[in-house]
Amino acid sequence: MSSHREAPEISKDPVADSTDLYAFVSPDKPGTVTLIANYLPLEAPAGGPNFYEFGDDVLYEIHIDTHGHSQADITYQFRFATQLPNPDTFLYNTAPITSLTSPAWNRRQTYSVTRVDGRGRHVLGEGLICPPCNIGPLSTPDYAAALARPAVHRLSDGSRVFAGQRADGFYVDLGSIFDLLDLRPFQNLQVFAKALGLQAAPGVNALKFANVHSIALQVPVSRLTASGRPVIGAWTTASRRRVRILDDQGSGQVESGPFTQVSRLGNPLVNEVVIALGDKDRWNTQPPEHDKQFAHYVEHPEVAALLPVLYPGVFPNLAALDKARTPRADLVAILHTGIPKGIIDGFTNFTGPVQADLLRLNTAIPPASKPSIFGLLGGDLAGFPNGRRVFDDVVSIELRAIAGVTFKLIDPHYTVDPAAGQLTDGLTPADLGTPFLRRFPYLGVPYDGFHHPPS
Amino acid sequence: MRGLDGVVPVGAGGEPERSPLSRRSVLRGAVGAGAAGIAAATLAGGALPAAASTAAAGGPARGTATGRGEPVVVHVRDAAAGELEVFCGTTCTRVRDKELAARLVRASG
Repeated sequence: MSSHREAPEISKDPVADSTDLYAFVSPDKPGTVTLIANYLPLEAPAGGPNFYEFGDDVLYEIHIDTHGHSQADITYQFRFATQLPNPDTFLYNTAPITSLTSPAWNRRQTYSVTRVDGRGRHVLGEGLICPPCNIGPLSTPDYAAALARPAVHRLSDGSRVFAGQRADGFYVDLGSIFDLLDLRPFQNLQVFAKALGLQAAPGVNALKFANVHSIALQVPVSRLTASGRPVIGAWTTASRRRVRILDDQGSGQVESGPFTQVSRLGNPLVNEVVIALGDKDRWNTQPPEHDKQFAHYVEHPEVAALLPVLYPGVFPNLAALDKARTPRADLVAILHTGIPKGIIDGFTNFTGPVQADLLRLNTAIPPASKPSIFGLLGGDLAGFPNGRRVFDDVVSIELRAIAGVTFKLIDPHYTVDPAAGQLTDGLTPADLGTPFLRRFPYLGVPYDGFHHPPS
Repeated sequence: MRGLDGVVPVGAGGEPERSPLSRRSVLRGAVGAGAAGIAAATLAGGALPAAASTAAAGGPARGTATGRGEPVVVHVRDAAAGELEVFCGTTCTRVRDKELAARLVRASG
């Protein structure tokens, strides 16, 4: 998964587990950038009676580096507070929730948004209400129009914000990837699958009908960039207080001390499939400016070594590259520094030599009129790894890059294995259970618990 | 920023910091907390101040250790070196005080 349950410790703390980060120039408002940080992986829509919510005890942040030093020049902080109007029922709602002020809605969250920048701390909004979870047609009728859309709030600086449940827009065949990288469209070539006589097959979207909780911001480009520097680097973090004591004398729990980072996400799939198990938890606690310590994972990714083994004879040139222990400078550029000028015509998202896992977006690149889900690899300069749009096929893009497609940018004499440019888990946005929206917050209406999973 | 008697306040990740604690106020907090029913005390070596154990035996382990309505939690990070971390509100104050660390460890039984 992009970053769902990607590390041992955070997999036990879903409320603080970042799953995906998106950053793109808004296609319908090109003077703005949309930032979306998703948390709470794999929400089963029917998972009541205590439906999903953000953590009141978690500090959620989206950080922006505007100066290429891989440190936060701007941070947006989100703090949530839960209200329980009626503690004398087990129900989330006691009648249809027809509006965000419905008295039938019994457990609700509000939140504040604070921007921290060089000029100090600025509270941009307080008491902003989240929509309820999508329970079902009786409990949450007219969900999109009556509950989700009114939960888009305008902040005091003109930005817009939404925080609440959404359909997970990440599409990935988890079952195949974690079953010895048995990509179904290619399983007739996979060493173990081939031995069983398995044939090529379409991918299966494991996240179909799963919800997440999204924090989405739409900010004027001028509020996110430094003068003359259109490239920004984004990452999200979740932090918890350092001390928590479970009080067995009736007061619940005591929290104290500063917040400490427990989850981090910049580029998709990095901590998921690039960082090794022994370092994943530590990676989550580190600031991106310290990522040089993890550079060896990027220079010599395990997946690049596995592909030739699991698909014998399919990736001979990649195997040779790996055997020669050639550092993957292409992947370092994509994931850790941005792509410098002169590599791809008319494009750069280079932020400087400091190695850091940031989602880098060149805000000067306008939205594509005919976008490709393969982003930069598909000739679409507005797509991943130039930021990340909700529909970008980051699984295929990263698989192909790791398989050697982008190494040719570094070494023109390198011959890319023919299969490398075809790699995919076999999915597209058509494999989602609900479509993306054409407007903010872009991720689809969450699946309701009555109809999902389908009978 | 370095405070009194080797006290170093630790930043709170963008959250506003409170004023650093002095060694004297830590001692007052530790003792006063016991007298009033210590808010919270966790010690790396499993130590619990005598005052705190008295409070735990005598009633709810809650209170206003600092008079600010905030619990104070002390972590003996390295008893031999006298390194303590004092948590209060959104701050962590590092204190080096071998005598206090020794007292806390002794109190753990």
